[in-house]
Order: sequence, then structure tokens, then C-alpha cells
Amino acid sequence: MPREEPLSDAIAVQLRGVSKTFGRGDDTVAAVRDVDLDVLDGEFLTLLGPSGSGKTTVLRMIAGFELPTAGTVELAGRDVTDVPPFDRDVNTVFQDYALFPHMTVQQNVEYGLKVKRVPKADRQARAAEALAQVQLAGYANRRPHQLSGGQRQRVALARALVNRPKVLLLDEPLGALDLKLREQMQVELKHIQRLVGITFIFVTHDQEEALTMSDRIAVFDSGRIEQVGTPEEVYEKPGTEFVAGFVGTSNLLRDAAAESVVGRPGIVSIRPEKIRLAEAAAAPGDGEHGVAGTVREVIYLGTGTRFVVDLDVGGSLVVLQQNLHDRGLHPRSEQPVTLLWRTSDEYDLSRSE
Amino acid sequence: MRFKHVTALGVGIAAASLAVAGCSSSSTSGGGSSAAPSASAYAGPVGEGEGELNVLAWPGYAEDGSTDPKVDWVTPFEKETGCQVNVKSFATSNEAYDLMRKGGYDVVSASGDASLRLVYGGYVQPVNTSLVPNYADIFSGLKDKQWNTVDGVNYGIPHGRGANLLLFNKGENKTEPTSWKDMWESNSPAKGKVSPYDDAIYIADAAVYLMATQPDLGITNPYSLDQTQFDAAIKLLDQQKPLVAEYWADYAKQANGLASGSISQGQGWQLTANVANADGDKVGATKPSEGATGWSDTWMVAKDTKNINCAYKWLDYIVSPKVNAEIAEYFGEAPANEKSCDLTSNEDHCAQFHAKEEDYWTNVYYWTTPTEQCLDGRTDVTCVPYKDWVSAWTTLRSA
Amino acid sequence: MTTTEAPAGSPAAFLYRHPRARLTGLLALPMTWLVLLYLVPIVLLFVTAFWTTDSFTGNLQRTFTLENFARVLDPSQPFLTTALRTLAVAVSVTVVSIILAVPLSLFLAKIAQPRWRPLLVALVVTPLWASYLVKVYAWRTMLNPEGGFLESTLGFSTGYGWVAVVVVLTYLWLPYMVLPVYVGMQNVPPSLLDASSDLGARSWRTFRSVLLPLVKPAIIAGSVFTFSLSLGDYITVQLVGGKAQMLGNVVYGTFATDLPFAAAIASLTVLIMIGYLAAISRTGALENL
Repeated sequence: MPREEPLSDAIAVQLRGVSKTFGRGDDTVAAVRDVDLDVLDGEFLTLLGPSGSGKTTVLRMIAGFELPTAGTVELAGRDVTDVPPFDRDVNTVFQDYALFPHMTVQQNVEYGLKVKRVPKADRQARAAEALAQVQLAGYANRRPHQLSGGQRQRVALARALVNRPKVLLLDEPLGALDLKLREQMQVELKHIQRLVGITFIFVTHDQEEALTMSDRIAVFDSGRIEQVGTPEEVYEKPGTEFVAGFVGTSNLLRDAAAESVVGRPGIVSIRPEKIRLAEAAAAPGDGEHGVAGTVREVIYLGTGTRFVVDLDVGGSLVVLQQNLHDRGLHPRSEQPVTLLWRTSDEYDLSRSE
Repeated sequence: MRFKHVTALGVGIAAASLAVAGCSSSSTSGGGSSAAPSASAYAGPVGEGEGELNVLAWPGYAEDGSTDPKVDWVTPFEKETGCQVNVKSFATSNEAYDLMRKGGYDVVSASGDASLRLVYGGYVQPVNTSLVPNYADIFSGLKDKQWNTVDGVNYGIPHGRGANLLLFNKGENKTEPTSWKDMWESNSPAKGKVSPYDDAIYIADAAVYLMATQPDLGITNPYSLDQTQFDAAIKLLDQQKPLVAEYWADYAKQANGLASGSISQGQGWQLTANVANADGDKVGATKPSEGATGWSDTWMVAKDTKNINCAYKWLDYIVSPKVNAEIAEYFGEAPANEKSCDLTSNEDHCAQFHAKEEDYWTNVYYWTTPTEQCLDGRTDVTCVPYKDWVSAWTTLRSA
Repeated sequence: MTTTEAPAGSPAAFLYRHPRARLTGLLALPMTWLVLLYLVPIVLLFVTAFWTTDSFTGNLQRTFTLENFARVLDPSQPFLTTALRTLAVAVSVTVVSIILAVPLSLFLAKIAQPRWRPLLVALVVTPLWASYLVKVYAWRTMLNPEGGFLESTLGFSTGYGWVAVVVVLTYLWLPYMVLPVYVGMQNVPPSLLDASSDLGARSWRTFRSVLLPLVKPAIIAGSVFTFSLSLGDYITVQLVGGKAQMLGNVVYGTFATDLPFAAAIASLTVLIMIGYLAAISRTGALENL
């Protein structure tokens, strides 16, 4: 039953002032610094960031595997900061799937129910349902080592979902899959999330994955949340230089270059696909900015071509051009060109700081 | 490895074993003939030493300073003769016998329960006593006895004799015991703190006690037991078992237990009491009224020795008056050399150990190997041979 | 073609073309070792058990007889009981070792600070560095019921006997249980324990349902050590067992005088060991060793 109504305002997970420091004495590492985050009921929220940015630690604190050094964690309005994992109404899909190797698929999926003393018949029915949901109905008696990576992934998902948690935590669950399978699983995960209506908190370092799947994205860097927003907001209107660089391709004009091109100093972000290539002498039209430069690199990508252009005013910009039949100017390396874009596609990062 | 394979392995080994055992069953038996081997003694003269001598000895018989730096009669011998001595000590006659059988030793101090087996097993050679000048001074009561002489041929030089005494902790025994009874009787005050000797020959100790307490059995020689007598001895040993703390084979361990009081009474050597009393007078030793088993030891020469000259030099040296006196005092036994009695540091030593009183030794029964043919001269019955003593002892200890 | 290629006639080229020659080269030494020093002595042991000795000199007589085995297996003789007692000791030592090693290994592998682990493991293994005899004699002194260390400090000592034997053997062989179990626990991914907890299992349930089944092969590997080492021991029994005797003591007490009988007794321990290995191979644990 697909859910069409807008996200409710109820808060599934709330973090307030959460910090986590590892180590003791002089030898400490602050993994998470003063994070505030509200996760809405039923949403698909992605924690996005490079490795070591603290996103997984935040997930583990929500699950209860790590105790925050400071701050509080609430699940559906209940303070669970000190509650052990087995008493939290959340379930986790682990990066390495963490399937119990000595149990069959069926036993793995039933484990959570068995621990909670769900009667056998009920347990079996629910496990079968969960396995059907992830399209593994015929695999109940296999052992994890007899399954492919994608299948193990699904078992892990079924094992978590069968408990009908309020929140499902997914720790880079697609990281180990090859590209094709990953893309397929992205679609499927999204589909399942719609189907069951459970809040998903999804950790990934893959910005494309985050953009594809999420209702909202929280971008992490160095233990802090840089920006929380819909995929469109995060992509089109990056809140910080880091977000602009991490989500999509870093394409910034800064300082002198920014001043000479857009008329004011600061940091300006322009997405590569918004820039048009023109002859060296071309002038910008109304509502456009332009800058002259020389093509340094031409990289063929299949669906498109990427040009790296060194600007005459210093710095460089990346231009992404679709490989259409009628694709306009297609310069060679070392050819002088002019780059043109609409002023409305500029996003001034210095303004938001 | 699956179950089947393990089983198959076991079956395979068993089958191979049976096959080999079966094949060999037709071959003639090796060793173990009961006739005294005919071999000739060293004709001499005793010449230059070979430079090496391997000695197998009871502890305390061939001290080289390693137990106590002051107790060393090996080093002077080495200096005198140039024969480098390697000493290996053993705890029981069986151990000595087994080591001699394996070879590699030139001389051995054998007790009566090993000496005949060594002779009949063909592991030792006759000794030419004329090449051992000190032999002349040996007590005549020790010469030409059945444990050192076969068919008139001497197989060794007597070394000394002693009794297996009743050792007791003085704290646990306020008055000196005069009987073995507390080591045997069920109502013993020493219950749980008794320490018998861990060897089949200890069955003779039971027989000695039976000689005094059950004269009806008619035991006259504790090494010559018919089945009825033997069964009575075993029954007595079974009765003793609940009293036992530990059976001893290592005299140092027994000394330790006696000194600490974890052992109240035990059968053992004077040497053990001496060691136990190294710090304080805690342990006494006595020969009870029933008599005792004992030993009369003989230095023997291995049949295949490569160091015959060193061996003869050793035989003469070890029973020389001074050395024999030192050993007898250290170990706590009566010396074999009459002249030793004048040379002991304790001038009463020979008196205390009754070296010259043949009366004292009348109720000391020297270790002898039991044979089927009764040693006491009976011909109407067969006696229990040593092999059955061993297997009865094994059964007793395992039960 | 490069200059480093082996010429066609070289030994390397020969071996490359003849896999069987490679295999022979690889296995010649270990197989010789196994057959000569392992299988042959076992076969000889069994063979000896079917011979007898001369009743006076104790020398071997190579005539086939079943009397040694008949005596070992005779219910009126004490040896089957001794075997059962020996088995009980080996099982007790193994069980106590497991009870001690599992929590200890859990602490070492999963709870202790990683930087302290090598030191702690080294401490556990330290007893292995001392000589066997030194350790057992030390225990003998400690256990002395009259003024021994335990008696004078705790006011209580087990004295010498079966309890002392199990205690000392456990002390001796515990490292052989801890090491495999520790490694086994280290090899359990932490995420499995997290996952169990995440699915609602409390610590004990996680331990029982996830950790224990996964380290079971390691425990069984350890038990092969503790069981076999205890089964064959005789020195500890001699020193702290009082008048207690295990099969090893019977062998020790008879090999000098009655080698065939000693061999028959020794065969019994080999049989028990084969039985033990067969039993645990049924659990499939040996395949994971």
C-alpha cells in the first residue's frame, strides 16, 4: 500500500547536543560534535559524509551500540540515551550484513522474534512474509555462505523488518555490492520503505545514492552536520563549501576570480551541467555571466563529456555536456573557449555563512 | 576427519598389529632362559683405565657432590684413576633392572631382588675377586650368598646391608613405635598418614608382618610364598590401603612428608630419616620387633662393558675401608668392609648398625627375587613367582 | 621471452611439468616422519601388547597371547575402573578448563582494551614458560595438608588426591584451552554481537545463541589438548594424587617389569582417544579446525 500523504510532523528520532569522544586522556578523538537532528516519522533520511565524518557513530548511538559522551537521544519522544540496544525499538542493517553464519536464513530472520518469545507459528508466518517481501521466499533453509552478496543483503533487511521496528537503521548496506546490483537495490529499498512506512535512517558516503533515495539528507563533516535538506536543496543550494564540494562536483569561483566574473568577492558555486561552452569571443547574454578560459582536459563519460577549463582570471571550472546529437561547441584540449551560465544558477556560499 | 575415518584408522592399526604379532608368534623366544649363563670373569690384570665409567647406583651410594658438596667420593676416584664417572641413580630395583637391560652402564649396585635377574638375564659378568684387593676384608657373612653367587661363581662385590626401617614423625608419634602394626591394622592412629614403598617387593613386608602375627600361615621366608600365603599378604595390603597417604618411590618426597607431618609412619631408609632431619630432629627410625625386609647390595659389572679396568678400579675403591665407611654412614647402613668400622666418623656407627652382630640380621630378610621354585626349600608346593608379584602389585595399586 | 625464464631442462621446469614430482617433494619428509615416528611406534605398541614376558627375568617373549588384553578388560581386575577414573579426570579437567577459559577469553578478546591484549594473553601463557616439573612440585608444596601454602593461608587444603589432580592438571593445561578460544572469539565479527543485541537479545542470550555456537569449534580444539594431555599424564598424579593412579601410572609402574601389559594398558588410552576424536568428529567440529 503505497503511501501518498505528505510526511507527518511527528518526530521519530531526536538528537540534541550529541557528542561522542573516543579514547582517554590526551589520546582522544572527537567523532561526533554537538549534533542536533530531528528525523521525521516515516521519512527516508540519509546521513551522508566521507569516511570518518561521524555519520556511522551517530547511527550507532541511535541503535544504542555507543553511549554518547554528551547529549540526549530520543526515540518517539522517549529518552533512550542510556537504554541498551535490546530495549530500543529500532533495528539495524549492518554494512557486513552480520548474518549469523551458524543459522539458516529462516533462523536468522526469526531470531529477533524468538528472542521476544513470539509463538512459533506466528514467528514462522512473519518470517515467511518478510522473506517474501525481499523476494527470497525459496531460500529459507540455506545458510548465509550459500547466498550471493545481494541475497545476504536482503536477508539482513528481512531480519530487521520482521520485527516491525519504528526506525530502521542502515549502515552503508549497499557498499559491498557491485554497481548494477547497487542501483537495483536502491530502487528496491526505496520501494520497500514506501511499502512498510517505517522511518529509514540510511548511512552512505555515496552522494549519488543519497540523492537518489532520500527524502532528506544530512551532510556530515568532521563530526558535525553541515546541512540538512531535501536532495534538491542540498544539491542546488549547498549550505557550505564542503557540501558544495562533497555533493556533486566541486565547481567554485573564489575571491579575485569571483569578483571579476560576478562582480563581488566571495565563493560562488555553479553546477557543471549548468555551464554552456561557447566560442572564445562569445559574450554573455541577458541574465548571464561569462568567463574566458582554455580547455585543459576532455573526458568522455559515455552519456556526456566533462571539460576542465582553466580560467584566464585564475582557478578552473568543470563543465558537463550531454552527448546529444546536437551538442553545440565541442572543443578540443587547449582550445580557448568562453563559459556561459545563467546568473540564477549561481549560488553564493559566502552569503549563507 | 569424519567418524568413519577415525574408526578405520583404529581398525587399520589393530589389524596391522595383529598381523605382525601373529607372524612373530612362531619365532623362538628371545632372552629369559632360566639357566645361569656360562661366562668367564675378567682375567686381569687390571691395567690403565679407559677414562670413563658409567655407574648405576642407589641414591646415596655414588655421591658426586651434587646432592651435598661435602658428600663426594666420586671426585677423588676420578683424580686417582682418570676414569670420568657418570652417575645415574634409580628408585627401585625394577628401575635398575630395566636400565641395565637397556645397556650403557658399566657397574651397578644391585639389591638381592635384582642381582639374580641380572645374572640369569645375562646382563652382568662374573667378577674375579682376586682382582679386588679389598675383597679380603669383606665380612664373611656377606660372601658367597645366593644373591651374589651362582653355582660357586661370584657375580659381584658386597657393598653393605641395611634394614628397611619404620620411619616415624616424632610429633605424630609421642613414643617410639616398636611394631609395624600402625602401618597395617585398620584401627591405626596413623590412618591416612602411612607411606609404604611403591614396589612389588613391598609384598614381602606384608609377609614379614604375617610371620609374626599369623604364624599359622607357616611363612619362613617372605620371598617364598605359596598361593595361600601370598593371598594373605595381598589381603593385608588391601587392608592397609585406606591408611595410606602416599606410596613412595622418591625418598626425598617421603622425607619431605615425614618432616612436615603429612606422613606419620612409613617404611624407608635411614638415609631418608637423615635427609628429613637436615633441619631439626623430627623423624625417627627403628627396626620393629617383627623384623624387617632389608637389602644386601652387590656391585656388579655389566656383561658388555667397554670400561672393564675402570670398573674393577671402582669395585675396589668403593669397598675400600675409608670410602665404604663414608657411604655406610651417609646412607645409614652397615658397611661391608670390616676395616671400615674403625674409620667411621661416628665410632659407634658399626655398633649402631649392627655390622658385626650376625644376630641382628637374623630377622632382616634381604630382598630376593621370588621364583616358582620355593626359596625356603619346600618342594611340595610351587611358590608365586616374581612376575605374579608384579601383576598383583599393579592390580593392588590400581584398585 | 625474457632472460629470467627457466631453461627447458632446469629442475624448475621439470617440476612445473610434473605435479606429482612436486607433491612427492613436498610430502616426502613429513610422510617419512609420520610413518616412522608416529604410526610405526603405535603399531609396535599394539604388537607388544600381544606378547608376554619371562616370569623371572621379565624379558620379552615373542609368543602370541591375548592374556594382557584379557587382564585389562577383566571386570574383576581394577583396570577398567582405572580407565573410567582416568576418563573422569580428563573430562573434569576439560570441563573446568572450558568454564574458566570461556569468560577469560571473552574478556581478552572482546572487553579488554586492545592495546592491553598482547600483554594479557602473554600473562595467560606465562605458565607455559616454566618447566612442568617445577610447576607440579610447586603445587605439591602448596597443597601439603601439613603447613602447605594453601593450608596456612586459607586454613584449608584439598590435600593430595583426585581433587588436587584435577586442580593441578587444569592449571597446567588451561593455556591450551584459552589460546584457541581466545582466537575463536577474536574471529567472531563484533557486528554479530551487535546484531544480536539489536534484535532484542540480552547479553546472556547473545552469548548462548551467537557467541558460544561460533566458538564451539575452538572450544573443541582446546578440549582435544586438555583431554589428551590429561589422559596420558602420570607425573602430576604421582606428585599430588596421593595414592591415586591413572592409566599413565599403571603404564609407568609396569613398563619395566611387564612391557606387554603396559602396552595393553597404553592401547586402552589410545582407544579412548580415538573414541573421543570420533565423538567430536560427529559434531563436525574437526572440519573447522
